[in-house]
Parts: sequence; C-alpha cells; structure tokens
Amino acid sequence: MKRKFLSSLAIASALTLAACAGGASDAGDSASDSDSGAAAGPRTLLVWVDTVREPACQAYQASVVGDIEVTCEVVGQEEILPKIQLANAAGEGWPDVVFSPPNSVSIYAEATNGFALNLDDYVDSAIIDDYNTSNDWCLVDGSYYCLKNDLAQTVLWYDTVIFDELGLTVPTTMAEFSATAMELKGTGYVAGAIGDQGFYAGYLWPSGCPMAHVQDGTNVRINAAAPECTRVFETMQPLVDAGVVDSRSAFDAGFLTEVAQQQKVAMHIGPSWWGEFVIRPADSWAIPEGRFTAAEMPSWPGEATAWSGEWGGGIWVVSSHAENLQDAADAGVFLATDPVMREDKVTFPGYAPAFELWAARLGKDTYYAADPTVAMVAQASRIRQDNNPVRYDMRGQIGVLQTEIGTGKTLEEATGIFMQSLIELAPGVGYTVID
Amino acid sequence: MLLQRSKLMGQINGFLMFLPYLILLVMFAVVPIVLAISVSMEKTLVNPDGGFGNYLFVLQDFRFLPAVINVSLFLLIYLPTMLIVVAGLSLLLDTIKGRYAVPLRLAYLVPAGITGSVAILVWYFMLEPTYSPFAPLFAEVGWTQSTDIFNSGNLIWIFALMTFFTGAGNWIVIQYGSLQSIPDDLLEAAKLDGANGWQVALRIKLPLIRKYLIYMLVLVMAAGLQIFVEPYLLSSTVFPGIAKDWSLNQLSYTLAFLGSNLGAATALSLMLLVVMLILALFVIFRTDFFDEAKNKIKEQ
Repeated sequence: MKRKFLSSLAIASALTLAACAGGASDAGDSASDSDSGAAAGPRTLLVWVDTVREPACQAYQASVVGDIEVTCEVVGQEEILPKIQLANAAGEGWPDVVFSPPNSVSIYAEATNGFALNLDDYVDSAIIDDYNTSNDWCLVDGSYYCLKNDLAQTVLWYDTVIFDELGLTVPTTMAEFSATAMELKGTGYVAGAIGDQGFYAGYLWPSGCPMAHVQDGTNVRINAAAPECTRVFETMQPLVDAGVVDSRSAFDAGFLTEVAQQQKVAMHIGPSWWGEFVIRPADSWAIPEGRFTAAEMPSWPGEATAWSGEWGGGIWVVSSHAENLQDAADAGVFLATDPVMREDKVTFPGYAPAFELWAARLGKDTYYAADPTVAMVAQASRIRQDNNPVRYDMRGQIGVLQTEIGTGKTLEEATGIFMQSLIELAPGVGYTVID
Repeated sequence: MLLQRSKLMGQINGFLMFLPYLILLVMFAVVPIVLAISVSMEKTLVNPDGGFGNYLFVLQDFRFLPAVINVSLFLLIYLPTMLIVVAGLSLLLDTIKGRYAVPLRLAYLVPAGITGSVAILVWYFMLEPTYSPFAPLFAEVGWTQSTDIFNSGNLIWIFALMTFFTGAGNWIVIQYGSLQSIPDDLLEAAKLDGANGWQVALRIKLPLIRKYLIYMLVLVMAAGLQIFVEPYLLSSTVFPGIAKDWSLNQLSYTLAFLGSNLGAATALSLMLLVVMLILALFVIFRTDFFDEAKNKIKEQ
C-alpha cells in the first residue's frame, strides 16, 4: 500500500517537473525575443575568444573601461557551436560577441538558429567597404552576418637558402612545383607536409575540387571524381611516393624533430599566418633569420588566376540576443578591425587600414629574407570563391581527411572517404547533393 | 504494540535514508528521460512529421553501425580485462597482511586520479614515440612514428588502456572491501580442511563476492557503453579527426550540436538506455543477484 503510494508519488512528481521544465523554456524563448532597447543596469558585454585572441579582447576591455564592462572568456573553438545550440534550446546564455570558426556562419545565419545579428543596420558601410572583398565569406543571402578577423590565404613559403644551395627557381605553376619538388629527391629536403588541413586548404581548394560549392541556396556540389580533384591526386601522389612531400602533419612531433627543426623544409604551401605562428617560434619550427619568405601560389593548368585556399580565417559574430545591439556590434568592429590593436598580431588582417599597419611591421622585420606581404596581398583577392560556408561539419570532416592521409592511404582514397562522408552529411542539414 | 512501533520506525528510517537518493534519481534520471522521450518525437529539418522518424534517421545514419561495432569491440576487451584483473588483484591484496597493505591500496588508487583531459595528455606522452619513455621498447616492435600507434585500428586498445587505468584502482579497493565481509571462521574452516591459497581464493572467496563482482560488471558495462570523454578529447585536440563519432555517445553529441538535430540525438540516447537496461536486467536476474549469496552460505 505504502509502496504503491510512494511510487505513484514519484511518477507524479516526475511528470510535473517535466511539464514545468517545458513551460519554463517556452517562457524563456518569448522573453528573449523582446531584447532590443536600452539595458536597465550598467552596460555589460560578454565576449568569447580563444587564447590567441584574448589579448585583443583585453585591449578592447581597457579601451571602454568606465563605459562598458567587458568580460573576456576563453572558450575552446570546438565548444562554441555546442554551447550556442544549448543556449538556443534553453533560451538564455548567449555571449554578445564570439570569435568563431569560419564555417559556423552558415548555421548562425540560418533562420531557425538565428544567433548571428544581421550587421547591415549596425555596422557602418564604410567599414565593410574598407574590407574590399575580404568580408565576402560573411555574406549570406545578401547581408553580412559576421566580420572576418583575418584572411588565411595560402601562399608558397620557401627557404631562400636551400633554393640558392640547390639552384632552384621559385615555381609559378603546379607543373613547375612538381618538377622542383622532384629535384629535392635524395637531398633530404622536403616540399612540405600535407597530413593536415594544409592539403585541403593549399591543394584541393585552390584547384577547385568541389567540396562545399553551394548553388541556389539548397544545392551543394560535392564530387571527388571531378577533374579539379583528380588533377590534385595525379600531381601530388607521385611526390608523396617519392618521399619529397611528407604525409605527416606539419604539427606532428616526428615531423617537427626530424624535418622542420632540422631546416629541411625547402618549400611549403601554407596560410599567411604560417610565418609568424609556425616557421618562426622557438617551440615550433624555429627557423633562423633571413631564410624564409613567401611567394605567390603556383597556378593549376588552364586557370587564369593563381588561386588560394584558406586555412582558418576566423570570424567575429555578434549576437542577435545581446541586450545592447549597438554596443555589441561596436565591440565586434573593434575586435575585427582596430588597426593599432592588430599591428602586432600573428594573422593577416582582412580590413585594409589594419592591414597597412601590419604589413609595415612585417615589411621592416629582418626575420624574413624578403617582404612576404607582397605575395600575401596578391593572394588576398584570389581566394577561390567556390568553397562556401556550409551547415554540415566541414571542420570535423577535414580532421577525418587528415587521419586517413596519416594512415598511409593514397590521397585519392583518403579524399574519397572524406567526400563520401560530406555527401552523407549534407542531406541531414537540408542540402541536395549535385555533381 | 512495541514490536509494531519499532517496525514502523524501521520503515520510516529506511525511507528517510532512501529519500535523498530518490530525489536525485527523480531530478537527474526520471525527469531527463521523460523530457528526452518527448524531444525525440520532435519535428526536425529532415523529419518534418516528427515521431519515430527520428529513430529511423539514427539507425540509417552512416556513422551508426561503425559506432556500434567500435563500442561492442571495446566492451569485449574492456569488460573481461576489468573483471579478471580487478578480481585477481583484490584477491592478492587480501592475502597481504602487515605494513604493505595500506601503501599498496593507495598505490592502486593513484592512476584513478588521472582522468579526462589530463589522462589524454599523459597517455599521449606515454605512447607518442618521439616523447615516450618506452620509445626503445616501441622501436623494438617497429613503432617509430606516431601513426604506428595512434591510428584508427588501434583505437579500441588505446581507449581500453585509458579507461582501464582510470577505473581499475577504485574497483580494486571496493572489491577488497567486499572481501572483508567474508566471515573469518569460514576461512579458518577451509584452511583446517587443507585448502591452499589458490583453492581458498577460487573456491571460497570468489563465489562469496560474486554479487559484488556482478555489481561492478553492471556499472562498468554502463560506463563502457557510454564512453565519450577519451575519444572526444583525443579526436578534438591531439589528433583531430582520429576518432570522430567513434562511439555512440559521440554520435549523439554530434547530432545534437553539430547537426542541429536534438530529436535524433535524444532518440539515440534513449536507444542506449534501453540496451543498457536490458543488459543489466539480464545480468542481474540470470545470475540471481539478490538470492545467490544467501544460498551459498546456507549450503556451506
């Protein structure tokens, strides 16, 4: 009798609690819609950054002290999307400005998610103009939903000392790249490492291999058999087999100690931040002064432009749920564009005035054998446009590509597996896959 | 009259001791399950009608079957290892009297303090041939690159190793405690009958703590089926993509937060729950969990 009473009490309370929880989240959703208008208390902003961007946030914090109370929180890049999805489900807990991986803008800008603020009414059009085409990644359905923090256009980094030693010329086409790489055979030098995102950004993307080519909003082109993909395999596989291109990641412990730190990298197709973040630091490649510089990308046959891909290029997203939307947008603008704050940072600023200061610093820097920013500027407007932000987890699947290359599969097999998983994922988020 | 009163007091006291657990059970088990059932029937982008379509979506997902295989193989290695090693070590520990007993118990507990992201870092350095103190040993077997050890074929063994070290210590101490519940006169009697150490351990002690070993099996099975932290951390930090959606719980996480599909994620979680309940009930009732020990003692 008593047992029956207790169990029925437990079940009744469980159902009541469930109903209450459901009700509370509905109330939370409706409350969050009425969020525009002046905040009642002191002006506050919550900014989520990664460790590299934390100094930028702190600079902003110092610049508005007294007016706005800015809180800088370091959140891992992998956790940002899950946390925002959770906030959407709970109806609360969004940050006001967030530094996000670039692909997520497609999810945030989507109507059912609604996290990203449409910046058209909150950011001065002069700022967007000064980006030239560098902010086009953030253009979704004709409006800007984010501000590009930096451009990570790929360029050809090469070691002038090794090139002089072996009498090599800097390649301008992929055929020349292949030939130059083969000349390294037997010398102990390598033409780069491709077991990481560099293969996707530096080879597949510039060649135009269709992986995330969005057309008409719901169609996406993914095709591993396209000639733009097969020519990458035909060019690079012989180099991998000959041992002149390393199939490990450029960040792999073995590659670091055996190759990179022994100054055996003759050339490497990498992003614009490669110099300051990978080649130079003492705990990374630690290449001595006066050796490396950057050249323009080698072009693929039949292409009028020497295209670049992008490895990274994070974005600043402003929350549409912020208490004070203009404050949040202003913070986003500062964090993405402020020239003085950007001057000593690692990445190539997308915003032209900030870029000028950055380039001036790098140009005067005696570390590089020649000014690398010349090539970077040239490539900044050559990022191939047929790879777009998509709602499926591109970033995660690139990790799969990386792993497959690392296990010794051929580039064609590894890319095939990668593209097949994209083909399986796309319909789940509302795309139709076309060839 | 007095007997009835003390019986009532006993029942009330029992209920009061059970009450905090009941509250937590309702808050963190029953309520989420009821919520999950309703969320799993929601409409999603790919399932505009809602209902059981979400369950179908999960079963047809290209990552579901590989994840099932991964977790099954993992459990096939992890469970027997835990059972045999924990039982063996706790029986051995029980034979040690004197000053080494306590330090040894402490030593077994130390690895259990390293969990989560710290465990990933520690194991990365232990297994990465460039940094590992075991590098000469690895070189003997031909493992010189990180990909020789950290590749998708070895993941089951790597995760079994990690979860074993984080879990075994606690269980050894618990099983040692359960061994203390065996009455001394029983062991005396066995020794008088001429039983040696092996026979006492295998024929007397082991059957008597069978109940506690089964309890351990059920909990370890639940933890193993839901493995998430080790593959997630390894795959998102040190070796991006190596164990993407490797386990079922990871797939649930991906569906929820990277696929914007809470309906499918909760459907998968509920399927895991049902499987676990069936396994647990099977183990408990097939092994007469509640009656077995009593009968054994009666027999002897």
